[in-house]
Amino acid sequence: MPEIILENVTKRWGKFVGVDNLNMVIKDRGFVTLLGPSGCGKTTTLRMIAGLETPTSGRIIIDGVTVFDSEKGINISPAKRNVGFLFQNYALWPHMTVYQNIAFGLENLKWKKEDIKKRVDELLKMLKIEEFVARYPSELSGGQQQRVAIARTLAPNPKVLFMDEPLSNLDAKLRLEMRTELKRLHNETNSTFVYVTHDQLEAMTLATEVCLMKNGILQQYDPPLTVYAKPNNLFVADFVGNPAMNFIDAKATKREDGTYSVIFAGVETIFTPNEDFELPSENVVLGVRPEYIEIAKKGIKAKVYSTLPAGMETTVKINVNDDILTSVVFGIIDYAVDEKVHFDFKGNGIILFDKETSNRLVDGSLAIAKK
Amino acid sequence: MDETLPLNENQNNSSNNNENNEKKSLSTFGKILNSLKSYFSKPSNIILVVFAIILAITVLIPLVYLLYNTVTIHIGEERLGDVGALTLDHWAKIFSEKKFNYAVNAFYLPLKNSVLMAIVACIISVCIGGGIAWLITRSDFPAKKFISLVFVFPYIMPSWSIAMFWENFFKNTGLEGIQAQMGMLQSLTGIITPANLVYGFWPCAICLGIHYAPFAYILIGGILRNMDANLEEAATILKASRFKILYRITLPIVMPALLSTVLLVFASSVSSYTVPAFLGTKGGLITLSLKMRQLISSPQYKGQGYVLATILMLFSIIILMINQFVTNSRRSFTTVTGKSSQVSLVKLGKVGKPVITALVIFYAAFFAIVPLISFALESFLEVSGNYSTFTTYYWTTTEVTNTYIQNSVGILHNKEIWSAFLNSLLLSGACALIAGTCGILIGYGTAKRRGSKLANFVSNVAFLPYLIPAMSFATIYLIISYTPTFGFLNGSLLLLIIVGSVKFLPFASRSGTNAMLQLSNEIEEAAVIVGVPWWKRMTRVLFPIQKSSFISGYLLPFVSCMRELTLFVLLTGSGTILTAVLENYEKYDCTQISNGINLIIIVSVLAINLLVNKLTGASIDKGVGG
Repeated sequence: MPEIILENVTKRWGKFVGVDNLNMVIKDRGFVTLLGPSGCGKTTTLRMIAGLETPTSGRIIIDGVTVFDSEKGINISPAKRNVGFLFQNYALWPHMTVYQNIAFGLENLKWKKEDIKKRVDELLKMLKIEEFVARYPSELSGGQQQRVAIARTLAPNPKVLFMDEPLSNLDAKLRLEMRTELKRLHNETNSTFVYVTHDQLEAMTLATEVCLMKNGILQQYDPPLTVYAKPNNLFVADFVGNPAMNFIDAKATKREDGTYSVIFAGVETIFTPNEDFELPSENVVLGVRPEYIEIAKKGIKAKVYSTLPAGMETTVKINVNDDILTSVVFGIIDYAVDEKVHFDFKGNGIILFDKETSNRLVDGSLAIAKK
Repeated sequence: MDETLPLNENQNNSSNNNENNEKKSLSTFGKILNSLKSYFSKPSNIILVVFAIILAITVLIPLVYLLYNTVTIHIGEERLGDVGALTLDHWAKIFSEKKFNYAVNAFYLPLKNSVLMAIVACIISVCIGGGIAWLITRSDFPAKKFISLVFVFPYIMPSWSIAMFWENFFKNTGLEGIQAQMGMLQSLTGIITPANLVYGFWPCAICLGIHYAPFAYILIGGILRNMDANLEEAATILKASRFKILYRITLPIVMPALLSTVLLVFASSVSSYTVPAFLGTKGGLITLSLKMRQLISSPQYKGQGYVLATILMLFSIIILMINQFVTNSRRSFTTVTGKSSQVSLVKLGKVGKPVITALVIFYAAFFAIVPLISFALESFLEVSGNYSTFTTYYWTTTEVTNTYIQNSVGILHNKEIWSAFLNSLLLSGACALIAGTCGILIGYGTAKRRGSKLANFVSNVAFLPYLIPAMSFATIYLIISYTPTFGFLNGSLLLLIIVGSVKFLPFASRSGTNAMLQLSNEIEEAAVIVGVPWWKRMTRVLFPIQKSSFISGYLLPFVSCMRELTLFVLLTGSGTILTAVLENYEKYDCTQISNGINLIIIVSVLAINLLVNKLTGASIDKGVGG
């Protein structure tokens, strides 16, 4: 079954490195999202797997077949890789009707006319675009065009489906709708999906695995909740999650009982790690998700910087000795600006990063030291 | 109209009834005044209205006047009745006079020749130009820079240059009479080319095809460059073969551009005068344009000449309509302008690559560089084609070299040539300045009011001069300059400037419109908000941003004017501008001097083109391709 393996894949344009020594295995029937800020090499990676771009070096194996190997000089054309590709701008052929667009791939496979008709009808129904069958792409709205593009890509039943930011041109409501559809589609079609996006929420909600890249270098490749709970480094921690994680510069020292004393903004806290680890230096960064900061009756003193109620939850920004922290509270609370509050930490998902390498050291729980 | 109607009603009411209504009528009137005021407070509206009027005067009224002249009797045609009376005789003679086969010889035969010649020229230019465009945008063809620079030379050169080169290259001692001179090919290899490959139908068609091939390259290349490569990649992934992608995806998508190219090349070729004048007449080929000039220059048949001019123009108007129909079709190809960032280039293969490269480079060098060498050489040869007779005589002598032409001294001492050269520069500069500026303004107006009827009218009428054959266009203005009111224009440089500016306005308005459309409205609005006046917005904000496109809009009319003969030849004496001087020398077979003049024209045009290109980044292909 289609498993995709990338070994040491590198792409260079002159001196500029697009993708640097990428290694990953995309599991059969997985839904992998390539995530990262623009220009991080995710589209290039996708295009290299599909064969639209030639890597500078490395090896790519799809379903046990080596489709690219720089050492052996193998480079199989995209047509022979049995993949589907959904383009960001849909790339619908403007001179063909919806039917002709969808049928084109099947014609190339030399399907019989009746079979093509049957398959196209099936797809039109599945994507709810039956009434547009005789229209030209320019006569469709963005969402309709996108569905036609999906239908065209799905028509030959590809075992692997590549998607390059397919939802980025849609409005917010339609995007949400299409996300649900895509997830259902993934179940129904039994194919492997590889999906490029710069929207971390899209990546989190859709994927079975997230591949996070920065400047052509792989940062983390894990299931979305792992990426959320145990980010490999500050970049990943910052990129994933909304509102973003709080980062607090702190000094840590080991105590006799195995816990650590962590001091920031004049506050002393006790950090209890979930597992053993080596502290390389006393300079650390505390990573605290907003949901782990609790506004309470007692605890550390702070002032409210601003309150952003969104209905279901409220984001409260608080000022602790001129450090701004973000907290998310369930429900509607409204604080006045500069109102005095107290806060505390909760849960055991608080992360300690090494300040120098920005890598994650350990996670654990944080408590205010009793004076 | 809707606005004026209630006004009238109210006035009627007020005369019958009370004050109340009168007040109302005043307020309606005031309303109209106000809406007029607000309409004209937008510079784009003023520009459009002004140009609608100017273009109606310079383009539409002359067209109607030409039509009128096809049904009147002129001085010299008294055999048909009183001068100035109406007659259908011109049309009748041209279409159906059987005596001596008159209609066939004056109309049907030239028509057939012109149309066939234009069709062959179209096929050649689209195949060569389109092929090169594909090679440069879609394949791993080497030497792209060199080819894209050199390949446009034949289009920058005057259209007869290729014809002249053709003659220089292929003429041979096997020809009859005065034309039996040795050409380059014969003196280098001894090969004698058959007469019908030196003069006549085929050389004309081929030379026109080669002249317009760069034009096809620029248009098709522009579309290919802007065409989203994803469209082709999508087909690759769906397992379509290279060939299938080409004829099912690429070709249909570039079809409108291809068709536009075909139509525009056809319109230009069918009415081409210079090339058949150089290569056709000597081979007994008579085309519509040749016949037309012959008729117009003979006083007794002026009316019939105007009929031919009208017919040539009808061709163009039909072509414009077909073009509109094609580009307005339902399948709307506007989606073509996507980003095309990551194109995977087609590999030409181990055998194909060197063979194709060699062929293309040979072609480009042969028709772009060798002609220059040939003109230079021919101007130094006492006996054409015989390289042992090398002499600088025709450049340096102070003797008269041709008894038919007064003061035909060597080129360097020839005052007539140099003053004509200056006139040409002056004329081209003036035309470029007027056409280029008008083009930018029209571009601004139509881009701001895109889709409105007025904007469509202005942009269509501004394009019309391109499709009116130079010959017909000149004819119209010639007639006008014969009228007493505009007699002062007759033979003056001012007339040439007006004609040149209007004729080459389409290039400028095209590139102006394209450049303006690329600018988003917000850029100007940002300046409007802070109260920058319109004039300053144009010169300080819009112009600098699209500098190279706008300068291309000046460059193209300049180059076209410099090399233009057909348009001006009817309107001017033989000594006014350089191209007319060239034609005069050519007429009396002073090959050395005419080659020398041609060399001066081409070198100066190329030099100015390259200089502007280096200084500002503007280029011919930007102006045409947009």
